[in-house]
Amino acid sequence: MEFLSSTALYNILRFYLIWVAFAVFIGGSAYKIRELIQLAKKEKVVFPYISLKDTFKSLLHWLVPFASRNWRLRPVITTVTFLFHICLVFTPIFLLSHNILWYESWGITWWTLSEGIADIMALIVIFACIFFLLRRIFAKEVRFVTFASDYILLAITFLPFFTGFLAYHQWLLPHKAMLNLHILFGETMLIAIPFTRLGHMFYFFLTRSFMGSQFAFWHSRDW
Amino acid sequence: MAVAVEEKVVSREFKEYIRDPNRDIGIDETIKRLTPEKIEKTINSVLNLRKNSGRFLAPLETCIHCGLCAPACQWYLSNDKDPTYAPVAKVRMTLWEMIKRNGKVDAEFIKQCARIVFTECNICHRCSMYCPYGLDLTYQIGMVRRICFLLGVVPQFQMDQDHSYAATLNQVWLSQNDWLDSVQWQEEEAGAELKNLRIPIDKEGAEVAWFPLGAEPKTGVYHIARIAKIMNVAGIDWTVPAADVWDSANMGMFIRDFVTMNRIVRGLFENAFRLRVKKMVLTE
Repeated sequence: MEFLSSTALYNILRFYLIWVAFAVFIGGSAYKIRELIQLAKKEKVVFPYISLKDTFKSLLHWLVPFASRNWRLRPVITTVTFLFHICLVFTPIFLLSHNILWYESWGITWWTLSEGIADIMALIVIFACIFFLLRRIFAKEVRFVTFASDYILLAITFLPFFTGFLAYHQWLLPHKAMLNLHILFGETMLIAIPFTRLGHMFYFFLTRSFMGSQFAFWHSRDW
Repeated sequence: MAVAVEEKVVSREFKEYIRDPNRDIGIDETIKRLTPEKIEKTINSVLNLRKNSGRFLAPLETCIHCGLCAPACQWYLSNDKDPTYAPVAKVRMTLWEMIKRNGKVDAEFIKQCARIVFTECNICHRCSMYCPYGLDLTYQIGMVRRICFLLGVVPQFQMDQDHSYAATLNQVWLSQNDWLDSVQWQEEEAGAELKNLRIPIDKEGAEVAWFPLGAEPKTGVYHIARIAKIMNVAGIDWTVPAADVWDSANMGMFIRDFVTMNRIVRGLFENAFRLRVKKMVLTE
């Protein structure tokens, strides 16, 4: 516990591991995206069919809630998944404490969410994770394709937000310990994204592009 | 009267997978020829393709196992939402398991895979329309079909049609004589009902070439007369090819026999080029 709340650990996480995390996240993601595009170029039937217009049409219908048939068929999942992803991506980017870190380090600033709203957004992520967990356990079609890795991915997503929320409210553990844990889990998530199925963050756009263009070629829609 | 109820087949690996027995010489007998080495070598030869194929690799690295593809599948919907009929479940029970075990599976497992990919998926692509990422699940199923085909484990009827294609370039073992004979016979039949009806054979420079399914000259010959009536009444400048390939069904594609598949598609287009037609009309 002493080590967990030590300033030494904080310094390692804050000044060294953060560089590793961002380097792996950015470098790894760029590498994975490039790799998939290179692989797609080798195929005879991917690039000749890719059309930007149909890519955007397909992306639009799946990035707007209820714009595709499957989103409309499942209003609860659609609502939860959209709220979850919006909060997941935007809370860390516009969080006040994170912005202060950027300002302290590099003197750059951008928009900031009010602390109340950020708190609610973190709670949305936390409860959405619990919803996904319950769905994994109780929805038959999901349980049948659930592996240990699915729970690990869910935990990787859940923990930074959970510890961040607790650290903000100074609950459960001493503030410094919780903060160190929060940074550690956050960095773990950044490192995990390119090399796990969390990479759907980027692959989403590529796979949609392929399928959207493919269906347009068949004079059909994929939404 | 008592009816003998056959015992259900319960999968060894997936206890949720329960089916009625479905005997098929093409599967039950062929798996007896398999050896663990042969299976492993074949599976890995196909699985290794994923290192060079974005279409193969992307779904494997992206699928988050959300199950949202399930309501897309007619098999899932028409079987009381049995989770083992969901598209992702079929990939999970076949391809993912092969990858997990590095191709070290036994003949019994291949039998189960063949049943799943040949008789419980139509490769209709509806799951891709329901997948939030638009993943090509059917491509994965197709790769498992490819593995089963390379191992020779294919339902007898489908393998027979593929063999027919390999030998005669149509799926019903029809010779060119039989084909032309059927066309001329149906020209006579339809000609009794419509004045000046003709079925032009090999008419170069026609607007449309019609390519039937193999079953039409074989078991549904009256289809030819009906198409002829439609074309004549509509006043379309059309023709039917006299030479191979005229059968537009493609069992080779269905079971992923790429060599035969290629011959058929190439043959159809070459026939169209030979006749210099502007459109190809296929029966579906």
